[in-house]
Amino acid sequence: MNLQLSNWSARLAVLTGAAILLSACADNPAADEKIAVAKASLQRAEQAGAPQAAPVEHAAARDKLARAEKANADHNLTPATELAEQANIDAQVAEATAQQQRAHKAAAEFDASLEALRQESVRSSQPTH
Amino acid sequence: MKTLWKGMGLSLLLGACATTPAPNATLESARAVVQTAEADPNVSKYDPLDLQAAKRDLEIAEAAAAHRDVAAVTQPAYLAAQTARLAQLRASAKADDARVAAGQAERDRIQLTARAHEADNAKMARDQEAQKAARLQEEIDALKAKPTDRGLVLTLGDVLFDTGKAELNAGATRKLDQLAQFLTEHGDRLVQIDGFTDSVGTDSYNLDLSQRRADAVRSALQGRGVESARIATQGYGKAFAVASNAESSGRQLNRRVEVTIGGENGTPIAARGRPSS
Repeated sequence: MNLQLSNWSARLAVLTGAAILLSACADNPAADEKIAVAKASLQRAEQAGAPQAAPVEHAAARDKLARAEKANADHNLTPATELAEQANIDAQVAEATAQQQRAHKAAAEFDASLEALRQESVRSSQPTH
Repeated sequence: MKTLWKGMGLSLLLGACATTPAPNATLESARAVVQTAEADPNVSKYDPLDLQAAKRDLEIAEAAAAHRDVAAVTQPAYLAAQTARLAQLRASAKADDARVAAGQAERDRIQLTARAHEADNAKMARDQEAQKAARLQEEIDALKAKPTDRGLVLTLGDVLFDTGKAELNAGATRKLDQLAQFLTEHGDRLVQIDGFTDSVGTDSYNLDLSQRRADAVRSALQGRGVESARIATQGYGKAFAVASNAESSGRQLNRRVEVTIGGENGTPIAARGRPSS
């Protein structure tokens, strides 16, 4: 993180509180906000199991977030913002991949149990005597 | 700016998507992915908003390309492609969830029906059991059989035999038909046929006559389809008198054949106690 705060950015930081608080100690509100959003998305993806379910997207999101932070620290506004945007969407894709796999597995298991129940019901609805 | 694009290209490669850093390739890939998402019926049903966002990004990329602003193409094109993928993934998960939710209603219905069926079957079984018991009682009543400790006892009186002989007469036919029918319907029950006489005549004659009469009843039942393996016979002569041999009416009662029908499932018939005379 870049600790060289100018007077201008310090005043802006007060005005745009939340974004600055989330990304702390940077000097570009737009990039800071995008980085904060990407961080949150990455965290959600990791909680959803993305490192296992979507290792490639997850790694891409992490790499881009790191690059975005580096670019931001180097005052490179555009790459910081764009990399943060990409990191954010990559993290969301990774999270959605994990959730989609989970939903698909659950649905397949449910289908199997329902099919078993259907067949059981066909058998038991036949007269027992 | 050149180094920036290099950095972007590297990170796009790491992202391992189908896209390449070249703006045109990224745009073409985005067009294809957005088109695929648009054609996915789950997307329009379950996640139209992400698809809209993807299409907006694609329009921005297309506009930049149209203005030959190459530097402004890659970022919105990349976002468009990833957002379209996101739409498909989210829609697919929602479609699965919806299928499970719909299936749960069916599952509940099946389980309810199954429980109702179980109750019906149990009631049907109880009813059938009750009907069976009622039918058995009717049959026993029709046979005029008496329940005893050893089983159901049916007495074939002397009048069904010709005097001093072991042949059953025509009067016995109806009774034997009923008995044979009962034994056919209850094929699991054993039969004990015992012959008895009054005290007139020698013991050996009476034993022989009572045995032959018991055998005659067995033959008659066999002739009506009852398996011989189920039937045992015994002649007791004057033993086990049921009335006084001093009077002719008592002697007539003593001259008889008793048919004892065992319980269900081939329950053996208990032996008689000690002779009373």
